[in-house]
Amino acid sequence: MTSRFELLGFVTRKLAASLPLLLGVTLISFTLTVHFGPDPAHAMLGKNPTAADLAALQRELGQDRPFWMRYADYLHRLATLDLGHTETSGEKVRDLLARTMPISALLLAPGFILGTALALFLAMVAAWHRGGRLDRLITGVSVVGMSLSFVIIIIALQAVFGVWLGWFPVRGWAVDGPASYLAHVTIPTLAFVFASIGYNTRFFRAMLVNAMNAGHVRTARAYGAGPARIMFRHVLRGCLLPIMTRIVYSVPALAISGSLLMESHFSIPGIGRVTYQAILSGDQPVIMAVVGLSAVLFAVAVTVADLLCRLADPRIRLA
Amino acid sequence: MAIDNTGICRSCQVEYCGAALVICRIFLQAGQERVNNAVVPARPLPLIFPCTMENPMSFARTASAVVTALLLCVACERSGGNGEAPVVYRHAIDGIPASLDPAHAANIYSATLVVNLYDTLFRYRYLSRPYELTPNLAATMPDVSDDGLVWTIELRENVRFADDPAFPRGRGRAVTAGDVVYSLGRHFDPATRSQGAWLWRGKIVGLEEWIEAGANPDRRIAGLHAVDNQTLVIELTAPFPQLAHTLAMALSAVVPREAVEYYGREFGVRPVGSGPFILERFDESRAVLERNPDFDRGALDLAAEGLDPQRHAELGLEPLNGRTYPFIDRLEVHFITEPTSRWTSFVAGEVDNVMVPPEKSGQLLASRDPLRFRPDIERQYHTLAEPEAGFVFYGFNMANEAIGHHPDEDIDRANRALRCAMREGFDWQERNHTFYHGLGQVFPGVIPPFLDAFDPSLDASSTDHDPQRAQRRLQAHDWSPETLPRLTYGLEASVHQRQMFEQFRARMQTIGIPNERLRHRAFASFGDFSRAITGGELDLFLIGWTMAWPDAQYALQMFYGPNAAPGANSFNYSNPEFDRLFERAARLEAGEERAALYRQLNEMVINDCVHIGSLSRTRLHLWHRHVHMLPDREMLGGHFLRFVGIGAAP
Repeated sequence: MTSRFELLGFVTRKLAASLPLLLGVTLISFTLTVHFGPDPAHAMLGKNPTAADLAALQRELGQDRPFWMRYADYLHRLATLDLGHTETSGEKVRDLLARTMPISALLLAPGFILGTALALFLAMVAAWHRGGRLDRLITGVSVVGMSLSFVIIIIALQAVFGVWLGWFPVRGWAVDGPASYLAHVTIPTLAFVFASIGYNTRFFRAMLVNAMNAGHVRTARAYGAGPARIMFRHVLRGCLLPIMTRIVYSVPALAISGSLLMESHFSIPGIGRVTYQAILSGDQPVIMAVVGLSAVLFAVAVTVADLLCRLADPRIRLA
Repeated sequence: MAIDNTGICRSCQVEYCGAALVICRIFLQAGQERVNNAVVPARPLPLIFPCTMENPMSFARTASAVVTALLLCVACERSGGNGEAPVVYRHAIDGIPASLDPAHAANIYSATLVVNLYDTLFRYRYLSRPYELTPNLAATMPDVSDDGLVWTIELRENVRFADDPAFPRGRGRAVTAGDVVYSLGRHFDPATRSQGAWLWRGKIVGLEEWIEAGANPDRRIAGLHAVDNQTLVIELTAPFPQLAHTLAMALSAVVPREAVEYYGREFGVRPVGSGPFILERFDESRAVLERNPDFDRGALDLAAEGLDPQRHAELGLEPLNGRTYPFIDRLEVHFITEPTSRWTSFVAGEVDNVMVPPEKSGQLLASRDPLRFRPDIERQYHTLAEPEAGFVFYGFNMANEAIGHHPDEDIDRANRALRCAMREGFDWQERNHTFYHGLGQVFPGVIPPFLDAFDPSLDASSTDHDPQRAQRRLQAHDWSPETLPRLTYGLEASVHQRQMFEQFRARMQTIGIPNERLRHRAFASFGDFSRAITGGELDLFLIGWTMAWPDAQYALQMFYGPNAAPGANSFNYSNPEFDRLFERAARLEAGEERAALYRQLNEMVINDCVHIGSLSRTRLHLWHRHVHMLPDREMLGGHFLRFVGIGAAP
């Protein structure tokens, strides 16, 4: 019971402590967007406007209102989740996010999970055979993977699986059930795994090798424990904190911006593609909603990471 | 029943997805020898399996495959499965429409969809070149008074808006002349944020007063009113022969007031029109449109649309003649911004057409001059090479006294010499080969070759690269590295644009303009770039101008004084003589007199060295042979999509 209350108090404290962070991030991003961001008025004007047209449009967009009023309005909208309408299509931003975020999640989740699991497995193999042929092979392949451009990987996979073999759609997101989902997600997933596996394997291997040097691992070996037991029970547990932190921290970036390249190349209507279009057109309600959401996600990720660390290692105090 | 490698079940015409086929393949390959006698190889990836029980020995394995396929395909079945496969055309475009509200349809991407969801009063004939207007929602071409000031337009009868919850009982109603009045009037409501208001502002009697009074749609506009449900009258303040062209633009499409008010800001994603298609689905990846059952414009008359039996022989259009259009049940418009993805998607057969990425042109063309596709490409696909209805060019900021207009005549002359020298120093042929794969057409002035007013005999020396002449000019007006102004070259941030700047600067260096006299400013978005031009922050900029109607007036308005920034005259060119002639030409009907005036105006722009240009890019289009159409998007926008036919390759 005490532990539960302690946990609840910890979460509340962490989230409360995130408020200044959220205010800071939103203020900075709002200032940057308003003063240095793309100008929607000029992008939205017709081909031969007059100065009066420009002024009227700027009034309509609220650009003539004082900065602090606009910022307060933005915070109010963010807090009430009434994010307004996009400046371009007029669609409700909330609907836009509700429509696109699940697509990005569905697009990225398999690659993220598979890529992380595969990288962890390869890292464990490499770490166990540290200095050996297998280690060198895995490390070498990882470096090659890191060196390959993501775009090249995407184009190659599209050519092989989409054009040459014809197994999967080259692009698009005509998903209306599990089978079409599998068809559309396979090439992006492969691309994601290829692109991320090198970085993750190298990082995880370094952590595992470091943990393998610990005294308790040597003791376990001396007792004659098998590789699996040593790896999963002693080594992996020992370096769970940095691995977990890396994984949890990469989720917000992945959810918002990580899908940009993939969604552009595969013409997938996810949040990355929408955000990119909003930046190009200066669609401030969308940009601000995504920035605000990123800040919230990041605050949540920090809290979750701390919580998981506490669960993984009881020595860590929930302060 | 058999499913082949295209994913279509040959019996029930149900389309299955790739993943199901892969799993079926795994099953079947394991039992290949046992089922071989029942398998008919298909190219390029044979995947045909029997759904009958002709071969008892292979029953178990075949049944496994079928069950697996069916289980997977329950969710991925994409047709009704009623034996009637819908006829689908999948059209790829290279951008994403931001809005489907006609008031925002100023670019080709939005216009492609808008003209298929809504009706415009007029459109261009499908196949006639030069482009010719023809009635669309209008019953006939307009009746124009002798003084050119009063236009009477009759509308077709029995045209209905599509059913939508915006209407009482969800049933669409007849389109009336009042809807046209409302649709044009709403451009002047600030809440509409129209991109097309400039087309009619100041041209319709009483419009300004109506706007001043609050642009209330319930109040009458003196010069824009419906006489009855079918008759529209437009009274102009001055003759405006281009009015009919504006009424063929997507911006002028007719919307129902009920839907605009029902959906409010979301009208841009919930279109309700009377066009040949109805929106079924729309996101950043594609739009799916279904045939509008209420759309009836009779049969396609190819002769009236301008069919030339010789020129259009390869297109296979004749079987469509006399049939009621549209010929397809579903139109899918895919938004593929990445050129590589667009190409691979076309090659994989996922879309039916492609505007070829310029970097692919080397693999497809047998020669560039004359432009000819490789014979094997022509055998495999339909092909089209056409110049864009627009051009790119550099413009100077004439409001900057350091390089543009100057009250002191001597300085003004020296500035002109500097601009002309920069024009002569620039090499359009090099630009064409470096960035446009040699597919562009360089021409002098701002009247592109596809227009009637283009003068093939016009002296083209203004597009010649002549560094010696440029140097002589600079010396003659005492320009030296010390006296040259510091110029700011604006560009949208991209590697491509930066490379163009470096090429430009290198050319300028050869005529004696040092690098430090020409600096660049990059902008993250078009809006910022546009704002900088409007604000006079840039002295020199590369811009593109797309013609909205096939008349040189549309290009020449860029140099008309009253259109100065933020208007179309981004260069702030001011020449009273030009303005006088432009105003005179603007009132004339098409003819020799007007063409002569246009040519005179064009020469004034060239002689004053206001711009460096110009170049029209060539678009290469390919489409699969089972698709019968002429995918000319330049002036037609998306109007041609209603005439697309699908069938056996000719």
